[in-house]
Amino acid sequence: MPKCTINGKEVEVKEGTSIIKAMVDSGERIAHYCWHDGLSVAGVCRLCMVEIEGNPRVQIACNTTITEGMKINNTSDKVRDAVKWGLDFHLINHPLDCPICDQAGECGLQDQYMEYGKYDPEMAEHKQKKHKVVDLGPTVVLDSERCILCSRCVRFTEEVSKTNELGIFNRGDRSEIGTHDGLELNNKYSLNTVDICPVGALTSKDFRFRQRVWYLKDAETVCNGCSTGCNIKAYYNREGFFRVKPSYNEKVNGHWMCDEGRDVYKFVNQEHRLLKAQVRGAAGWTEMAAGAAAKKASEVLKAAAADSIALVLTAQYTVEEYDAIVSTFVNEFKTKKIFFWINNKESFDEFDGLLIRGDKNPNTKGLLKVLEKHGITATWNELSAGLASGSVKTVVVAGPENQAVFKDFAERAKELSKAQNLIWLQAGKNEALMSLTGNVWLIPTKTFVEKDGTFINFAGLEQKFKKVTTVVSEALTLTEASLLMAGKNLAIPTAAQPFMPNNQRVDQVELEARKKNEFVFRRGSL
Amino acid sequence: MSVMQNNSEKSKWYLPGVLGGMSITMKHLLKNLFNQKKMMTLNYPEEKYEYSPRFKGNHVLTVKKDGSLRCTACMLCATNCPAECIKITAAEHNDHTVEKFPISYEIDILRCVFCGYCEEACPVDAIRLGPEWQTPGVNGANFIYDINHLAYRPNLKGGIQTHVDDEERLKSGL
Repeated sequence: MPKCTINGKEVEVKEGTSIIKAMVDSGERIAHYCWHDGLSVAGVCRLCMVEIEGNPRVQIACNTTITEGMKINNTSDKVRDAVKWGLDFHLINHPLDCPICDQAGECGLQDQYMEYGKYDPEMAEHKQKKHKVVDLGPTVVLDSERCILCSRCVRFTEEVSKTNELGIFNRGDRSEIGTHDGLELNNKYSLNTVDICPVGALTSKDFRFRQRVWYLKDAETVCNGCSTGCNIKAYYNREGFFRVKPSYNEKVNGHWMCDEGRDVYKFVNQEHRLLKAQVRGAAGWTEMAAGAAAKKASEVLKAAAADSIALVLTAQYTVEEYDAIVSTFVNEFKTKKIFFWINNKESFDEFDGLLIRGDKNPNTKGLLKVLEKHGITATWNELSAGLASGSVKTVVVAGPENQAVFKDFAERAKELSKAQNLIWLQAGKNEALMSLTGNVWLIPTKTFVEKDGTFINFAGLEQKFKKVTTVVSEALTLTEASLLMAGKNLAIPTAAQPFMPNNQRVDQVELEARKKNEFVFRRGSL
Repeated sequence: MSVMQNNSEKSKWYLPGVLGGMSITMKHLLKNLFNQKKMMTLNYPEEKYEYSPRFKGNHVLTVKKDGSLRCTACMLCATNCPAECIKITAAEHNDHTVEKFPISYEIDILRCVFCGYCEEACPVDAIRLGPEWQTPGVNGANFIYDINHLAYRPNLKGGIQTHVDDEERLKSGL
């Protein structure tokens, strides 16, 4: 374990750590573009200059390993001057079209210009013209003029996705990023190249021009796209959610996430959501407040015999909610007819070697754990038989949030509608549900970004997450719905400590939660 | 505030003051009767005063030589607007040299405080505050101005051309 001094601070690091890693870990600021913690070292941007005592010239921090007793410094005038002129070379052919660039606001070039640059350009020559708006594939657009050739995207396709679509072509100032002949950037992780691009050269087709980044807040949560449970940052404002980016977690996803997971924000937005409860009786559909509909449903549930009630659960809710609804059914309604709607039995164990898993539910392990806790062993066949024979009359369903991965949705909905009363709790709209007949209660529920909870991923890792924001305020969580369906009232959660201790600053209260889920002021950190 | 009373002997002689005032009124009456061009007042709705070109009135979106909008939908005006009255929706343009343009640009003129920050923020001279200031409306009038009104309203006669020329900028290597 070599010891070194970074900007006057003693630091002990692991054997073989590069200077830049040690600096970033210890919270020092250092200019860099091409270095990325998850990729190999390229050493092409020449910006992470540091001065090492005993060394006559400045060196790059990303490709220098720390040795015992090194004295490193990146705040001296010599270093700042080197970085400044390095930056000038990067900006020679950069178009400086920040106003129309999507990266503006979270751009490494902007940040580093503000910190190290602020000079008048010394280049009299014309800028090199390159290709604009190059279509690289189904998800990514390239602007070669903005590219600073850091080669992060190229290294990503070589090392992480191992698909090798991208390369740097031509020489000198005509160098450009491009795809190899006959290939397009079309892999399951392609949008990570957009995240790691330090400038606005690679932009996502999905997010392009939809919002300026300074209008967005971000908050950390857990992806509900599959059982891997990648840690993500969801970007949103009052108009809804706009994009999802991975957030670093060594134990789960590292720095990356898949392209499929980037669509999980879509079904959360209001246009895809059930805003009001819909209740279908003899007179057809009527609209109702969610809570009122759940209370109405409680009358039916209370009147029903214990063995005629069944509960169907999908693995898309949190552990806390499962616990609440399952214990309500077991203790209040005295039924053990609780069924697990498995949507992807055949692809359950698939794994692509990096992140994507065949089990497209975030909390299968959590649901199984809760079912086991309450000693429930019912299988779907029993439910089918019960529905066919008419012994199951009232079915409560906690439907999927991410309906796209439930291919058997319409079919199952039809099967379940054989029951006399169908109480369907779900976040999103669905045509199949609106065409059902009989007594149906459609009650809106909250999605994973609107509640606190825990997902247990494929490896049994419990991941707690906090509420990001509220999209449909009227919607219920399963916990609330189960309380209402049992005929109880909702408890209004009171703060554990209504008054702030006066020796504590107001902004330090709940600091951890706020740090995670409020404005992030330092965007664009590479 | 205290009131000071003038109780001197001189102040009791009010008639000279009244006559002095009447003579000023008489002077103006005769001046306006015989020299109407120099009259200070206007018959307002029929006659209108022209403000200087620097006056900050209703917004104008400038256009390029071909008549299309100069605006690049960078949203700096909307960001800078203290009244939050500008709403822009950007889209991708078919011409790759334009790249980004607004498909909708709306100003809620009733919220606007005419501070001119949008004009200052604009990097491409796409929005200006024009000289127009009398924009009343009857009940139900639309005070959310869209592109059609902001850039192509009839009294702009086909749009005001911007100072910034893209082609020249590209040629000069900027």
